[in-house]
Amino acid sequence: MSVADSARSSAPADLARQPVRRFLARVLVSDHPFPWLFPATAMILAFGIYPLVYSIWLSLHEWNRFTRSFSFVGGEQWAKALTDPRMWHALGVTTTYTVVCLAVELALGLGIALLLDRDRRGYGVLRGLMTLPLVVPPAVTGLMFLLMLDGQFGVLTYYGVMLGILERAQPLLGHTSFALFGVMLADVWQWTPFMVLIFLAGLRALPKDPFEAAAIDGANAFQIFWRLTVPMLGRVAAVAILIRAIDLFRIYDYVYVMTGGGPGTATEVLSFYAGRIFTTGNFSYAATISLITLVVLIVVANLFIRLFRVRF
Amino acid sequence: MGFREHDRKTFIADSCREFTARQITKRDFLKRMALAGVGFSGFAAGMLGGARPFGGLNPLGIRHALAETPADMAAWLQEVSKPYAGTKIRYSTEATPPSIVANQLAQEEFSKLTGIEVEVEIVPLEQVLQKATLDVQGQLGSYDLYYLDQSWMATFSQDTIDPREMYKDKPDLAMPGFDWDDFSKPLVDGISMYQDKMVGVPFDIPIFILMYRKDLLEKHGLAVPTTMDDYMNAARTIHEAENGNGIAGTTGQLKSGHYSLNCDWTAWLWSHGGSIFDQAGYFSGGDAEGIEGLNYMLELVKYMPPAAKTWTWDGEGQSISQGQAAMLISWGEFFPGFDGENSQVVGLMEAAHPPAPKKLRSTADAGFGEIPNIGHQGGSAIALSRYSKNLEAGWIFMQWVCSKDIMARSSILGGGASPMRLSSFSDPRVLEKSKVGPGTTRHFEAVKWTIENAMGSEPDMPAWAEISNNVVPVELGKLLAGQHASGEDCMAAIKAQADELAAPFRAG
Amino acid sequence: MTRARWQNLLHDLGACLVVFVFLFPILWWVLASFKPYSAIFVPQPVFVDFAATTANYDVTILGQSRTAQALEQGGQVGGTAGGGSSYYSIPSILDSLVVAVLSTALCLVLATLAAYALSRLRFAGKDHYVFWVLSQRMMPPIAVAIPFFFIFRDLGLRDTHLGLVIAHALVNLPLAVLLMKSFMDDVPKEVDEAAMIDGATRLQSFARVVLPMVRGGLAATAVLCFIFSWTEFLVSLQLTTSIRTIPVKISTFVTSTGTEWGFITALGSAAMVPAFIFILLVQRHLVRGLTLGSMKD
Repeated sequence: MSVADSARSSAPADLARQPVRRFLARVLVSDHPFPWLFPATAMILAFGIYPLVYSIWLSLHEWNRFTRSFSFVGGEQWAKALTDPRMWHALGVTTTYTVVCLAVELALGLGIALLLDRDRRGYGVLRGLMTLPLVVPPAVTGLMFLLMLDGQFGVLTYYGVMLGILERAQPLLGHTSFALFGVMLADVWQWTPFMVLIFLAGLRALPKDPFEAAAIDGANAFQIFWRLTVPMLGRVAAVAILIRAIDLFRIYDYVYVMTGGGPGTATEVLSFYAGRIFTTGNFSYAATISLITLVVLIVVANLFIRLFRVRF
Repeated sequence: MGFREHDRKTFIADSCREFTARQITKRDFLKRMALAGVGFSGFAAGMLGGARPFGGLNPLGIRHALAETPADMAAWLQEVSKPYAGTKIRYSTEATPPSIVANQLAQEEFSKLTGIEVEVEIVPLEQVLQKATLDVQGQLGSYDLYYLDQSWMATFSQDTIDPREMYKDKPDLAMPGFDWDDFSKPLVDGISMYQDKMVGVPFDIPIFILMYRKDLLEKHGLAVPTTMDDYMNAARTIHEAENGNGIAGTTGQLKSGHYSLNCDWTAWLWSHGGSIFDQAGYFSGGDAEGIEGLNYMLELVKYMPPAAKTWTWDGEGQSISQGQAAMLISWGEFFPGFDGENSQVVGLMEAAHPPAPKKLRSTADAGFGEIPNIGHQGGSAIALSRYSKNLEAGWIFMQWVCSKDIMARSSILGGGASPMRLSSFSDPRVLEKSKVGPGTTRHFEAVKWTIENAMGSEPDMPAWAEISNNVVPVELGKLLAGQHASGEDCMAAIKAQADELAAPFRAG
Repeated sequence: MTRARWQNLLHDLGACLVVFVFLFPILWWVLASFKPYSAIFVPQPVFVDFAATTANYDVTILGQSRTAQALEQGGQVGGTAGGGSSYYSIPSILDSLVVAVLSTALCLVLATLAAYALSRLRFAGKDHYVFWVLSQRMMPPIAVAIPFFFIFRDLGLRDTHLGLVIAHALVNLPLAVLLMKSFMDDVPKEVDEAAMIDGATRLQSFARVVLPMVRGGLAATAVLCFIFSWTEFLVSLQLTTSIRTIPVKISTFVTSTGTEWGFITALGSAAMVPAFIFILLVQRHLVRGLTLGSMKD
């Protein structure tokens, strides 16, 4: 019996019996997107708009400590932010962080997904275990790596010193040029499994025919990978890249726990800089920095979508 | 620990627990203790059953030491809180020992007696600041009381009610015997006062004292340092001798971008005759004395574990208790932990007065009410929020938590965190704990002396929270990481930002 | 295509090695939760040569008071006070669980409905709508957490489970919508049309035809939503006082006199268990995933 048959057979009876179902069915039978989109949209409109509007409003005002109220200052905060060297530095750090992590996570994620995409016994367990890093709260991940990279007690430091790539006098997180790597390490460890998960689901969805045909035609593994797997994973990859890049750009937890933005401002990313300013009460300036982050992300995301012709 | 010894200790512990839970009588208990070979002086035996820990034995746990609230306090509480029973008050605080204890006692005693529910949010210090800032900006009244660090007093001064005024204005709610004079005056001035307003009641007082490993000093024939040069000398000597064994001369809380770095720096700045702001309100950390102090710090860094640049106060304390460093001038709050359960140096640490500063700038020559001295204090106060919707209930709670009895008990139960009230220092319960062991109070003398003679206080100025969190430690962090060419450059960078931030608050 | 025995072996070895490398930090962390401080804070890493202790778990999971525990260990009470009660973490684990499960459910329902429309229906402004949903995720966390504080407080939802569920679902919505849409896109439209030609309504087509086919995608999305809720910190911090989700609870273990590494490692380890179980439950569907064979019959 085809799927449609089973659908049809229960249709009239059910509908006749339940008025709510009947209403829903009628509403949802239309090809109009409205009812489908309504719940999600309503929720986003109700709660999501407020932060945006509030931030914009804040960025146009200034908190006066004496009158204890906000006064309108137009673009003053924006001018200040755009000429703030620390803001630009943070932007640079954030960009470096995002690009490097993304590249590494993509490559590793795809590689590991291919590695684990087998039906042999035990691979299910391996796949399950691979998702474990995702389950750890980022704050705890930060603490984990803090402990492991500690100059005195860290297990990673210990082996790093043995291998000659680290020195005890300069713990990784205290090193101006390399502290960012320490933070990136935490991120890569935690989020490569995310990519693995996405790619695994994508690999599982690939139709078998083209691959069989290619094998019959005599293509080798590499050709199959490059010409078939990669393009077909394209859409899934695009979504994963987009989501991950957005999260990377807004990173906060690891920096907060591991380095506090230091040494100096070596690991001060935009979200952390904004967070600092929020904490000491300059809401307006912090909101401005946050909006700058938003704008950059919107522009870059748009570019990405256009460039790679990501079709939604 | 041999089998018999373990048994004996278990027996003692079990008996203590049963006694606390009133499962056995005092006579039985004493009999058992005699069996176990534990003697009691007549005095101590007579004290059994009250809120007193055992002489010679470790505290049995919170429940025992809690015993009862003194009868008169209980009566007053019940009486005064009648109209407010059922309200809920909340405040957000850092996890300091007195705060944790206060929370415990509030649940177990205060709420039961008054019917006022107390909800305490315990979060790291930066979050406390964030939440208080949020609340104040929107005048939300989400929190009825604020836990305010002394560096935030100026920022929040307008958002709280002066407790003395409250005491005067509402006599029917005033706690009898509260005794305002019992609060150490330098403490009140240093922590709570801003422009003649008492912003809150002092609640805890971490203050810099000298703490050292007496075994290591003895081993190298060093006397307890009394001058800045002595201290540097001792640190260097021990470091050179023991660094190979994994013990550094000293330690620090130099995490870049964290307020802790600011605290360490000020101790050296002030002890060399410098100050953060000059009389006119301009940043003066880069003047001659300031640079001298900075260089002193940079020299000391050589004798610290390299990881000192990555930790804040908790890492610093840990480095001592894990035996990684020999001495430090830092928060006296650490001291009981050195005798505590996870420490590897129980009984080896001693507390002393901080060394005499080389030179001191007077308060008159410094700016914004800054008090330069080596004993940097990081105290906090509890303040009553102006926007609270449960003002009276909050006020009752505030008086209770700052009362003589609670403060004395807090300092013992809080594992030896130092008290605010003069009476607490001489409370017999406190004096009794003045020995090696967990919850020790043997550092109190050093703390008290430092409060009265060597207390250094940060400037009182609304922008100070921002400067001490976002500017000073970030630039200093850069210096420590080699991103500034010199100390002078670093100070100049700070000056540029600090002067701008302080501008609206300069007189004239 | 058959592979030589040794190729298989190599492959298996490689897979195990990779997984082990990724698991190492977790293993190290869990190990630390059983170690006394003297085995953690030593320059040379200690793997097996230490006296294991369950003290950390006794306090955080079993709710044993710290002082009672210290007495058992030989009579030394910690410098930081507070009875075990403030470190007892079972309520936190339950809070986190409730919020994560409910917010995942809410998020999936809303997202799947929206994703279906975005995948199947053509309408003006579709791309813009998708981008708009995506952009919800583009603000720095702090800039979202603070307005949330105001809004939820005004709605009386602050410090309630419901409030947190809504907040988490909201934060996850963009991710869920996008993921579900991409998974649905992989199911050809012809399948729907075939069903509808046979007389099914769109709703039925959605519920009975498409949904079962994207089981793998649903599983993946559910896992991710659960995880994001389970590990979310900033928003949870701002919106709660008495409810302590696990990440917030852990942050309270950082005290002014020292970080309670023992308890942090214990709670961190314990917290992995429920989340991992959830993944395992859902894992089956993840693997079975999409099957595109429907057109063949």
